[in-house]
Amino acid sequence: MNRITVETLLQDLASRGLNGEKISEQQIKVFASKDNFVNHLHYLQTIGFEHLANINGVDYIAENEFEVVYQVYSYEHKIHIVFKVRIPREKPVILTVVTLWEQAQFYEQEVHEFYGIYFEGNKDLSHLFLENWNDLPPLRKDFNTEEFSEKLFGSKRHGGGK
Amino acid sequence: MNFNSYSLTKIAKEDKDTTYDLFFGPNHPGMHGNFGYVLDMVGTEINSVRPNAGQLHRGFEKLMEQRGWVQNLTLVPRICVMDPDPNEVAYCMSVERIMGVEIPERAKYLRTITLEMSRLTAYLLAIGGFGGTLGHYTPTHWSTADRDLIMDMFEWLTGGRVYHIYNIPGGVRSDAPEGFFDKLLEVMDALEARLPDYDSILFENPIVHKRLKGLGYVSKEDARKTGLSGPNLRASGNAYDVRKDVPYAAYPYLDFEIITQEGGDALTRALQIRLEYEQTINLIRQAVKKIPEGDVRLNLGLLGNLKVQAGEAYEKVESSKGEFGYYIVSDGGTKPYRVSVRGPSLPAGFLWAQKHLPTMKIDDVAAWMGSLSICPPDFDK
Repeated sequence: MNRITVETLLQDLASRGLNGEKISEQQIKVFASKDNFVNHLHYLQTIGFEHLANINGVDYIAENEFEVVYQVYSYEHKIHIVFKVRIPREKPVILTVVTLWEQAQFYEQEVHEFYGIYFEGNKDLSHLFLENWNDLPPLRKDFNTEEFSEKLFGSKRHGGGK
Repeated sequence: MNFNSYSLTKIAKEDKDTTYDLFFGPNHPGMHGNFGYVLDMVGTEINSVRPNAGQLHRGFEKLMEQRGWVQNLTLVPRICVMDPDPNEVAYCMSVERIMGVEIPERAKYLRTITLEMSRLTAYLLAIGGFGGTLGHYTPTHWSTADRDLIMDMFEWLTGGRVYHIYNIPGGVRSDAPEGFFDKLLEVMDALEARLPDYDSILFENPIVHKRLKGLGYVSKEDARKTGLSGPNLRASGNAYDVRKDVPYAAYPYLDFEIITQEGGDALTRALQIRLEYEQTINLIRQAVKKIPEGDVRLNLGLLGNLKVQAGEAYEKVESSKGEFGYYIVSDGGTKPYRVSVRGPSLPAGFLWAQKHLPTMKIDDVAAWMGSLSICPPDFDK
């Protein structure tokens, strides 16, 4: 397979209905809809984007949306894709990509734990890091760390002295 | 008579009550960091495994949203204790990408030199780890002493021994002191002269070979598809290295080849570290020879009040364990909107643990962990 460039990749993805932008010579960002993003990721996998580096969430609270970001890289074309999918904050449900990448299991568990996003089709969304957690998922923007620690540890100031 | 059928393991397998949970870590001497595996054991054999993470979690990503762009530099190196500089550099590169600035040439070389020095300290710990986990403590003592030589150099250059906080957005904090490079070359000579000793005691040791051969095999395709990176990927026959593929700092100006091996087991990964250790010494010598004169940082104004324009970028660095990536989103303020860290250890620490550990003996777990260079702080962050 010939090496593709950022420009040809953007054209190719645009013909499939995916809008993207160039970040650098070896990096683009792509915006996908939550209805068919798994198909697009699968297509990317077949043209050489086989390395899933990370899945992370971003809380755009002003727009009332979550964004799930898939960091995908091709060893062959040496291009990194920041693959972005937006979902509404009230109904944070998105399809799983465990069938495409095995390690996605743990990334999805982490995103579920810290954002409360449900991954449809992922069989095990148990907590990896937080034990007995029954507060808001902590990486959401409306989770207030100061309030939380005051509630948990009491409002002792300066090491607890009077 | 078939002795196997009368062994403890065999008898226990038939009786469910004789399986037991063994907490491997956080206090086990073979465990790297406050992490653990809960092993379901039969005799000395592992049935199944449950990673027991969370004891090291300090909420770095949340903390970083509450601190200024430059304040965060005191946090990021703590994500990998043994190899801290890749975090600083990846973070700074991501910030610089969003700002659209390019750092001075001399700063690029200084970054490369600190990155490679940091890689050496990490490899020396890994060599010590191989010795220690196989019950062979001499290399551990040697490598601890050798590592101190580089830590002294770090202290001279940056003021810190373990965490250096030397890289800042726009370059590095300060130029190298007078006479630093000459001394650094002396240290490199001293470290290179030690290599035959490590070879004879560890890398050519028949007991080490016997213990590590065939342990934790990862095939070429699996390594690529499951997100393994760095020496683990190259020890399975994949010629990929971020330093070559997505060049950063001064690596485009340095002459080196990607080292690959075909074995894919723990022994190959140990030898991979040995080979790359030698390459790292070579890279430091090249960088010291080629370093140009000039500024070491851009003037970005008062760094405490640094504002980064709205944007996002993912930048990665080849650390001693693999790809360290920082995905940063800025909303144009004095603090990051979101920082997400990609650590290299998660695929091995969680996924490959489920694949490799069942049927493995308890004695091999620590050596297996060391061979995949699993460093829990970078997923339990």
